[in-house]
Amino acid sequence: MKFKDQFRTGWRNLSRQKLRTTLTIFAIVIGAVSVTVMLSLVTSAKGFLMSSFEKTGEDRRVIVTPVTGLSYGDARWQTWSDGTGKKIDDAAITALAAVPGVTSVTPIVGAQYYDSARSATTEVSISNSFMLGYLANGSVMRDVTHGRALEASDDSGGVLVSRSIVENLGFKDNLEGAIGQKIRLKPRKDFSEMMKDVEVTIVGIMFADGDAIDMTLKFALDTSPVFERCDGGGPNTQPTCTKESDVLRNGYPAAYINIENKDNADVIVDEVKKLGYGGAAGQEEINSQSQAFTILGAVLGGIGGIALLVAAIGVINTMVMATLERTREIGIMRATGATKSTVRSLFTVEAGVLGFMGGLFGIVLSFGVAILLNGVLNQQLEDGGISERNIITIPPQISIIVILVTTLIGMVAGRLPARRAANLDPVEALRYE
Amino acid sequence: MALIQCTNLKKVYTVGGEEVRALDGVSLSVEAGDFIAICGPSGSGKSTLANVIGGLDQPDSGSVVVEGMDLAEAKDKQLSEYRNKHIGFVFQSFNLQAHESALENVISPLVLGGVGKKKERVEKGMAALARVGLTDRAKHKPTELSGGQRQRVAIARALVNEPSLIIADEPTGNLDSSRGADVMKELERLNDEGITLLVITHDPTVASRAKRVIEIKDGKITEKAGAR
Repeated sequence: MKFKDQFRTGWRNLSRQKLRTTLTIFAIVIGAVSVTVMLSLVTSAKGFLMSSFEKTGEDRRVIVTPVTGLSYGDARWQTWSDGTGKKIDDAAITALAAVPGVTSVTPIVGAQYYDSARSATTEVSISNSFMLGYLANGSVMRDVTHGRALEASDDSGGVLVSRSIVENLGFKDNLEGAIGQKIRLKPRKDFSEMMKDVEVTIVGIMFADGDAIDMTLKFALDTSPVFERCDGGGPNTQPTCTKESDVLRNGYPAAYINIENKDNADVIVDEVKKLGYGGAAGQEEINSQSQAFTILGAVLGGIGGIALLVAAIGVINTMVMATLERTREIGIMRATGATKSTVRSLFTVEAGVLGFMGGLFGIVLSFGVAILLNGVLNQQLEDGGISERNIITIPPQISIIVILVTTLIGMVAGRLPARRAANLDPVEALRYE
Repeated sequence: MALIQCTNLKKVYTVGGEEVRALDGVSLSVEAGDFIAICGPSGSGKSTLANVIGGLDQPDSGSVVVEGMDLAEAKDKQLSEYRNKHIGFVFQSFNLQAHESALENVISPLVLGGVGKKKERVEKGMAALARVGLTDRAKHKPTELSGGQRQRVAIARALVNEPSLIIADEPTGNLDSSRGADVMKELERLNDEGITLLVITHDPTVASRAKRVIEIKDGKITEKAGAR
């Protein structure tokens, strides 16, 4: 029997029991939708994360710290040095820049000296803001949504601020309008005697978690408080007092290395360690997060898989019923020349059609669910200050795989009833009432 | 050479713990063009003999040789092809697929055998329906046909692959005497055209039309001369 005829016969037999067929397909649809949506959600979230890593250059970054043994995640928080570990000074920066494969080295300092920012009309508290100073040479990239990234010329006082600060400054409905605006940063109370207000210009708005202000390193050092430090004693036991900043005394808390080839990160980290510093690659963090997403995907996919398993039992049930109801038909087919293998394929194809239809409708419905969820999520993201993104996108390969898998599940589930049908004794089957 | 040569066929069933000898050393030679009636009481083994000759069942021992092939030793694929190409079955209860039209029922052996394309199948199916005078009922479902018409559709299905042998198991059993006579006339006409006919019956009027009458009792056969 030709495959085309088997398919046609299978389709026809299924349409004889419309309600049962619809319900069986519906069960597969539920399984297919749950697998598709969950896998797509994880894949999309993973892609979103990976692209943000790429946008900020973290896939090609190694963080150098004075102390050794920090993970990348912890190294990111090294914005202040208390002098422990090996001092990262300008000579160290030069030495790190000389490591083959390194394209740039950027020292980083925290600049938590201010507690409020004032525009022409509004004053907002920035005491909980994450403030960072770095060289604007490109090795610390930001996902800039409006305006531009920091440039070397911003030493004169340009800053990059996160969207929430801009909104609080009164630019909620006119983010673009904030670019070029001057704001005054007011020092914290404990620094107010050592520091004065400083006027800076907003050059760009960055996509960042929470409140954050980025400024160039020179500007950060210029505006940092200078402490008086007195050491030991001279010949007449008079202490020698000098004025210097924390940074100059203890070195930079961290340096970001930008590397040429992301696959080379391990080698660079080793080189950094040879120089006596701690080193951690962004790739490490990306790998561990990527792995976490893979595990999450497997778990969520597994939950969806359970729905598919239940659907498979539905297929078995439907096909067992079909073989029982059609015992006599099977006998007639056998009498008129159907081989065992023809009967087996007929029922297997029929079960496969159930799986295929379930997968197909499941994918169609998944697209609907994705559109619906994206609508809701986009609104939430928009409200949260993140420009509109479609979080759930169903990759074409997932669609194809889901349809193939449901078809296969149908065929495997139909295998047992199909064998039962094929092995019926034709004489007995013809007598079946 | 005989069309079918059965030698020492034995087949034992166990029913309710008791052995029933359905075939007990049956030897039979069927010539091309024969019209044989197999008669006997219920449970005598006549259907078993027909099923073994038709390749639906296999004997415990003995041989059924058709065109050099021993059906007793044949594999499922060979038996199925034999049923498809060489045998046409006509059953007491018609055994038509209720969800298919008369034409679809008739061409089902062609579909199962993978013969030709749709157009060719329809042509052959319509030709078979024409031979039993039912072309105007081609699109009717079996439920829309009378008992006699249903049996003629079954005959058309048996004919469609130009078989050498038609096995009819009580073909008139579910019909009144006049419709039954029509069906028998149809089968006789096919026999006159050269198709070998094996009719299982316990109806003496049906048996009386055969060229050869074989009585079967407790799995053993005795042959009487036919009326024709």
